[in-house]
Amino acid sequence: MMRELDKLDRAIVESLSPDARVSNRQIAESLGVSEGTVRARIKRMEEQKQLRITAVTNIDRFVDATLAYIWIEVERSDQTRDVARTLAAVSELGFVGVMLGRSDILAITMVKNTEHLASFVRQHISSVPGVRRTESSLGVNFLKHDYRMARIVS
Amino acid sequence: MNNLAASAGTRPIDLDDTDHGIIALLRADGRMPYRAIARELGITEATVRARVRRLEESNTMRVVAVTDIEAAGYGMLLAIGVQVENRDPEAVATDLAAIAEVFSVNVVVGSHDIEILVVTEDAGSLSELLMATLGSVPGVRRLTPALAMDVLKNQPDWVPFHDA
Repeated sequence: MMRELDKLDRAIVESLSPDARVSNRQIAESLGVSEGTVRARIKRMEEQKQLRITAVTNIDRFVDATLAYIWIEVERSDQTRDVARTLAAVSELGFVGVMLGRSDILAITMVKNTEHLASFVRQHISSVPGVRRTESSLGVNFLKHDYRMARIVS
Repeated sequence: MNNLAASAGTRPIDLDDTDHGIIALLRADGRMPYRAIARELGITEATVRARVRRLEESNTMRVVAVTDIEAAGYGMLLAIGVQVENRDPEAVATDLAAIAEVFSVNVVVGSHDIEILVVTEDAGSLSELLMATLGSVPGVRRLTPALAMDVLKNQPDWVPFHDA
């Protein structure tokens, strides 16, 4: 079980939230702690994979791109993990999770259109040994994504 | 609001190799000093600063802090398919987006009308979230949840920006 963030950790994360380029000194001043403490806390949270500071780009800048949710059923349950591991290595996939209920694996990617989705699924998903069938939902309006929430796995 | 959507006023900008180089470095380490970025790309610090400002002001890129769901105290991550009846799916999606535990909302075509990602603390709060909170949104006919047992990869570097 992962260590939960304490009060100071959360306050630092909150300070980073509007603009993650804010300096350690500014955070330290606003929270009344030393700059070294802020630096050490950020370092610890990053090392323990509790926090990741990264650049994100606006999906609207990608012309004609939309999100696709691909639900994958495997042939036999004991193949689930291997299939998921293979899919996690596909660079186009932004999310790969082993799921309980509805389907065995969920993979999320960005595609241009239905044809692109079909060829992506054929090339990268259906061809993986152990994949029995897939069902996809194609996004028409990506309304919300709170980038502050993620499982930090790599 | 932490959820950022495309502001109508901004126009897309053309990105060159320098922009792509800066984005790649900030993706790997969002707090990399401008001086180090400048050295890495063989340009001046002032150029880096100006480019970053342009990328941010045009709503193209943003440097953000991502917190791990578990470290934030949420034990469960679910993907839920939502079937809608007697109401515009866009309107239902807007209502769902206003719920704090719902961190991703996508109106889709397929066997469901909306796909959402939600987080919750434990089984007790999950039941409350599904049956009371999400289930009572007008137009929601049926929720088909799937619990993430093991997330092997979660690194979307694309999001919709909603503010500005």
